[in-house]
Amino acid sequence: MAKRTIIPFGPQHPVLPEPIHLDLVVEDETVVEAIPSIGYIHRGLEKLCEIKDYDKMVYVMERVCGICSFGHGWGASAAIEGAMGLEIPERAQYLRTILHELSRVHSHLLWLGLLADAFGFESLFNHCWRVRETVLDLFEKNTGGRVIFSICKVGGMRKDISNENLQEIVTVLNGIKGEIKELTDVFISDASVKNRTVGVGLLTKEDAIATSACGPVARGSGLYQDLRMTDGFGVYGELGFEPCVEEAGDSYARTIVRIRELFQSIELIEKAVAKIPDGPVAVKAPGNVEGEAVVRLEQPRGEAYYYAKGAGTKFLQRMRLRTPTNQNIPALVKMLAGCDLADVPILVLTIDPCISCTER
Amino acid sequence: MGFFAFGKTILGSIFKKPATLMYPVVPREWEERTRGSVGIAGEDCIACGLCAKVCPCDAIEVDKETGAWTIQRMQCIQCSACVDKCPKKCLTMENLYTIPDVVKVVDTYEIPKKEAKKAAAKKPSAEGAAAPAAEGDGNLTCDDTCVFCGLCAKACPVDALEVTRKPEKSWKVDNETCIKCGACVDKCPKNSLSL
Repeated sequence: MAKRTIIPFGPQHPVLPEPIHLDLVVEDETVVEAIPSIGYIHRGLEKLCEIKDYDKMVYVMERVCGICSFGHGWGASAAIEGAMGLEIPERAQYLRTILHELSRVHSHLLWLGLLADAFGFESLFNHCWRVRETVLDLFEKNTGGRVIFSICKVGGMRKDISNENLQEIVTVLNGIKGEIKELTDVFISDASVKNRTVGVGLLTKEDAIATSACGPVARGSGLYQDLRMTDGFGVYGELGFEPCVEEAGDSYARTIVRIRELFQSIELIEKAVAKIPDGPVAVKAPGNVEGEAVVRLEQPRGEAYYYAKGAGTKFLQRMRLRTPTNQNIPALVKMLAGCDLADVPILVLTIDPCISCTER
Repeated sequence: MGFFAFGKTILGSIFKKPATLMYPVVPREWEERTRGSVGIAGEDCIACGLCAKVCPCDAIEVDKETGAWTIQRMQCIQCSACVDKCPKKCLTMENLYTIPDVVKVVDTYEIPKKEAKKAAAKKPSAEGAAAPAAEGDGNLTCDDTCVFCGLCAKACPVDALEVTRKPEKSWKVDNETCIKCGACVDKCPKNSLSL
């Protein structure tokens, strides 16, 4: 009978992009149980939304997360627009969809790099991030920011992106498609990479349902679930969206889901640019927020939930945000039980944790 | 990924230029929309204070008395809300970010005082209540949906509006003082105002 030991993992750990703490109960080299604790990066952004004008709050909500910042800006604006009963122009919806998918491309490339870094493939990590840089340059050219775009506002978009620039986005993305293919082939077919991912961190379909997993984690376990299928979220209905689902439920399946989504996002952007109508990009928002609304978005990491409530003033009474990582931590705990200690970093990464989102 | 794929990557890396810039020897090229830091062309500024009002993080302060426009560089988040709002378009978004420093940088700009303009503005030229004063010249007008709440007068940065409820309800604008910034139009709960 091996002796049980507790190994603290995080909040500061080379593999962790953001602080989460795990107490790993280990027997020899096997993890028996993992006890997560969060609370290292709470900033009180939801409360901040209650003490300032709602139109200033989009900038605050964008700063919830540095990677899915556009999605948060969109979610917050859409929730406030819903509470006001505001219909935004179609071109704005298209632009939001395009930028959201572009965010997914950059987020998944970043994640692939981090995964490569987690299993010690430094040059692959650098190549992934080099390609991601092209996407960041596109963001900078079209929105003015590389990470925080500040282009969403209540009522639409603050700036239009010209059709030539949209066409350029498609051209550039098609240009880097070959490079992405070359890089993702390593994750798909390289034997030493597969040794670290295939069969590691199994999450069955039943467990995924029981732990309310979402996003690529759920889709990697065979759950046919993606909010982009639902109506009223961007213009995905018009683009013919079909979620990427893998059945295996291991780290490899989750990687494949994200790789397929990467190419799917590029296709979606191409279709959206071909269909985008001309017209205004914003409508004037009425003075005050009255009523409440719920908006759900499919972020690169999974489903995010936004709730806004106003009582006829400039200030929101409540802004609520629930992020995908929050949902995926129970699934992570489930995966960690029974894995090797050496696999912990990879498993933590396969849920694509974003702790600053989770704690806001 | 077999040997040949590795070979291709290695050969490419030897003969290609590095992916990174030799910064700061090679300067970074900015895009037109790049948001770096807020700049101000002081001579056009009318100290209306709208930039300070829309700033989400209270980085800007405008002192009308002394004519000082102050920005806390480290607090600014470069959202460019002030640049969009500025009625005189004297604020600009510069490409270059604030240079890193060990202290929190606070920049103050002097707004030149416009004595002549102020003297001209003193002429009393109050219009009647809800009078469509000289339509089509961009003056502020108020239609009959007005409820005389006075929010427009509170929002006015130059105190050009006067709203009274007693003894009788009236709404007046001093077109000489009005800077046509649109703050009152944004504030109006009934959307009665137009510029």
